[in-house]
Amino acid sequence: MDSLVIENVSHWYGETRVLNDINLRIEAGQIVAVVGPSGCGKSTLLKAILGTHPTNEGTIKADGIPVTGPSRHVGMVYQHYSLYDFLTAEDNVALGLKLDETSLPYRWFAWPAWHKKRKEHLERAREYLRRVNLQDAAKRYPSGLSGGMRQRVAIAQAMILKPKILLLDEPFGALDEATREDLQIMLLQFYQENLRAKAEGRVPEYTMLFVTHELNEALYVADRVIGLSRFHSDGHLGATVVYDRPCPIFKPEDPRDFSRLLEQKEELRNAVFDPDYIKHHSEYVSFWDEIALEAANLKAN
Amino acid sequence: MVRSPIPPWLMIVLSIGGLVVALGVYGILSARQTAINETQSVLPGIKGMGEGFTKIRAPQGTESNPKPSWLWQDTKASVTRLFAGTAIGVVASIVIGILMGSYRWIEAPLAPIISFMAKIPPTAMLPLYMIAFGTSTNLFIAMVALGIFFSMAQSVFQATRQDVTQEAIQKAYTLGASDMEIIFEIIWPQIMPRILENIRLQIGPAMVFLIAAEVLFADVGFGYRIRMESRLLRMNTVYWYLALLGGFGLLLDWLMLKLRQYLAPWFQG
Ligand SMILES: Nc1ncnc2c1ncn2[C@@H]1O[C@H](COP(=O)(O)OP(=O)(O)OP(=O)(O)O)[C@@H](O)[C@H]1O
Ligand SMILES: [Mg+2]
Repeated sequence: MDSLVIENVSHWYGETRVLNDINLRIEAGQIVAVVGPSGCGKSTLLKAILGTHPTNEGTIKADGIPVTGPSRHVGMVYQHYSLYDFLTAEDNVALGLKLDETSLPYRWFAWPAWHKKRKEHLERAREYLRRVNLQDAAKRYPSGLSGGMRQRVAIAQAMILKPKILLLDEPFGALDEATREDLQIMLLQFYQENLRAKAEGRVPEYTMLFVTHELNEALYVADRVIGLSRFHSDGHLGATVVYDRPCPIFKPEDPRDFSRLLEQKEELRNAVFDPDYIKHHSEYVSFWDEIALEAANLKAN
Repeated sequence: MVRSPIPPWLMIVLSIGGLVVALGVYGILSARQTAINETQSVLPGIKGMGEGFTKIRAPQGTESNPKPSWLWQDTKASVTRLFAGTAIGVVASIVIGILMGSYRWIEAPLAPIISFMAKIPPTAMLPLYMIAFGTSTNLFIAMVALGIFFSMAQSVFQATRQDVTQEAIQKAYTLGASDMEIIFEIIWPQIMPRILENIRLQIGPAMVFLIAAEVLFADVGFGYRIRMESRLLRMNTVYWYLALLGGFGLLLDWLMLKLRQYLAPWFQG
């Protein structure tokens, strides 16, 4: 089942075309990393999917519904400004439930019912805080949380509405190394959850598209890496997807053995980041073919 | 060294010391003035101030038509005008400021007018308000309300624009918010402490506008009494009124601060 379908999307700011003819299909349960040279349009792509920057050309569909503006189907975690200062951690997480499930008149005029519902919302919020290992910080305001804790809360806040896809723009970019590793492991745990769900025939809950400038992080956390760049034969038109391949899957308990990633990292550097290596943009776009091949092999055995 | 701390007891001793010195200097000046002129009332001593206190609390009117004391009459009049004016000015500026910060098509027609009006010293508008409202209570309420409205609408507008990031708003939409919910659940709680801080800062100007209007046009109230009594050089009552104004201002300031700390414990200035 496709969570996100991007077809022939181009985007420009004024005269300058930033994104050119992007095509992308993301399935429920995938955790996809987006890498690319600085300023190539990664954030622009995320904003287009979010719906705050409508595309000039092409269509974006989340769960089959065309994106026309920010909605509850697409979640977002920013590098900064992720939480509301005036809400405690649990209130921040419960905010989505409150906004999505109840209305202003309901909260103002049916307050006994709202009061009851509120309790249930906070219960669910605390359950999500448990998932990101923050059950003890439920009553704290964002100003009293560390950067890593804030990002955890932000992820729980976005996840609670079960968006079709969660977008993360350099979510761990401002964190120190150790905190960063903790959060990466948390995403790996989510991925294991997805695999379990798939095995049991349920729809996986965590579908993510995250931008990072750390190639190790991209290959370690994601199951699929996408490279965005304008270093291809019609790059003068703008950046497009020049790399789309599966990548190694780590379990949370696996050693962080990045030597496994060396070869693919080299390939990525070459295909996405080298301005002198000009190729046709589809040369390294083989994710779905490789998946199909793997499925066929599996069947043959 | 700059900003080096001093022990708390020294802090207390020095603050009491400052007050004692100020009162002492006043006492000396007052005594010297009395030595020159036995009946002087410009710098009254303890006795004179005591008489002044009795006077402002003495019931007024005649046996058949009793009236409350000056202090009661003036407090009632001035406090009513101040609170009504401030309430109207604050509520109007919050509504207009938030709407301007939320909708460009409301900002566009109003912003130029409001920035222009905010530059006119409010007291200079008094004659205009006089024509519009006469010298009824409405004049004083309008003076206070309009006096703080323009500058406060500007700061509420600024807060709506700057304290609430674009990301915060977009995020709320991804969490299923409606336009009204953005205003009531995101913008309002975010800027509420900033608004309380603003109200606190506007109490001073509001009192300036009220007293100015009362000095010119009132027949009861703090400004009126201060003018009448200083004309007759009866400073023993005037000083009591000034002291009350100062104390009242401090009290309101403190209450607003506590209210903000209570309603927005997360706020860090
Ligand atoms: N609002 C805007 N108006 C005009 N140009 C813009 C705007 N936002 C971004 N750009 C330009 O579009 C290009 C892509 O920007 P974008 O922020 O999407 O890049 P990015 O890949 O996220 O970069 P980074 O790695 O630095 O985050 C950049 O060249 C940038 O200068
Ligand atoms: Mg970016």
